[in-house]
Amino acid sequence: MALFEATHLHKRFGDQVVLEDVTLSFEKGQLSGIMGPNGAGKSTCFNVLTGHYKPNSGTVTFEGRDITGLSPRLIAGMGIARSFQIMNLFDEFSVLENILVAVPQSIKRSFNPFHDICGNSEAIDKAESILARVGLKGKENLIASSLPYGERRALEIAVALASDPKLLFLDEPTQGLGADGTALLADLISELKRDYSIVIIEHNMDFLFSLADTISVIHWGQVITTGSPDELRENEWVKASSLGEVA
Amino acid sequence: MTTPMLDVRGLKKVYSQGLIQKRETFRLEADFTIKKPQIVGVMGPNGSGKTTLFELITGSNRPTSGTVMCAGQDIHNVKYRSRDRLAIHYHQSYQVRHFSKTKPSFLLEKPISDYPMIHLFDEPQFNTQDGYIGFMLDFFKRLRAESRLVFLCVHPNEPFHVKIMREICDRYIFVQKGAVRHADTYDALLDDIDVKDYLGALARY
Repeated sequence: MALFEATHLHKRFGDQVVLEDVTLSFEKGQLSGIMGPNGAGKSTCFNVLTGHYKPNSGTVTFEGRDITGLSPRLIAGMGIARSFQIMNLFDEFSVLENILVAVPQSIKRSFNPFHDICGNSEAIDKAESILARVGLKGKENLIASSLPYGERRALEIAVALASDPKLLFLDEPTQGLGADGTALLADLISELKRDYSIVIIEHNMDFLFSLADTISVIHWGQVITTGSPDELRENEWVKASSLGEVA
Repeated sequence: MTTPMLDVRGLKKVYSQGLIQKRETFRLEADFTIKKPQIVGVMGPNGSGKTTLFELITGSNRPTSGTVMCAGQDIHNVKYRSRDRLAIHYHQSYQVRHFSKTKPSFLLEKPISDYPMIHLFDEPQFNTQDGYIGFMLDFFKRLRAESRLVFLCVHPNEPFHVKIMREICDRYIFVQKGAVRHADTYDALLDDIDVKDYLGALARY
């Protein structure tokens, strides 16, 4: 049994079919990629998998439990974290504070309005270890909005990691990053890959081919092919494309 | 005898202008049967009626006369929202089209399938740079292997478009000025002088 499975998902908006018979499975300890051209249905697919949209039919299971149609909040509570294509950070707050609001050690006590999360040493230790993990050590007290774009991206991943997820979804993490930023992010993700099960939606094929264990290609709201990067590179058209040259 | 995948019988769509004195502006006529799952290549100049033909097959546009039987079911008698369970039209990216609805849905039938039997790809974006093209072609072949009928409409303007059509399609349809012509092989298609004219320099590939 795979860690996360989606079977025969069908989703429509009015007369428009946006997902057709989508079946995907993500294994524990692996980095799974979802790739596809613009408008192929990647983000819709992600939104169905993480509970933001309800499918018209089909099922989604996580650790063997049926989570189809559950709210994003409940799904997150089961250990699935996600980042968004458009960044979601508290811009006016410090890097450390952004993490602190997400670590369970501080959430546990947050029902007390007089409790100061920044005075919780257990939570701070946890937050600092996560920041070190994503390469933001020493930047704890900077204001989030002052960080360069690539570091904001790393901070966003750190926020997702703060909840100790069993599965991490990243939506187009290279969006807006230049070549250097993308290379740094690739290093970070290949490091995280050792400890986390990750699913990445990506438009950038080179990035995904260098990191993923398996890739599903989505087009017309359907999974048009699935395989390891090496299997996908066997295709004569891929060999002839710019992707083939990298390989 | 098995039910054909697609049976287009005496299909006619006439567009006219003017209230009192009607003047015909466009007429599309088609009559053909496709028995088995195949990949059908569709070509023809802009405005020749390719997309109209696709709309008539998927039931989003009402014919003036004639019927379209998809896997034995008259698509124009199926509930509007379920018609894509029989035949689905993958539009060109810039096209937004709507159903012409004339009957209330409760008078119409349910589809006989849960998954589209006929897939019509209307000028998919082929780009040799990114390699997606290979996955798309494999997908068309997979659909055929899963007993689906595939229509692939391409307006060739690069040699590789011709290469794709030549390699992947089992038969061809050429649409010009609302008339639909058929060919069983690419070479037979090229015997048509109008097709040669249409392809121009690409006819060499």
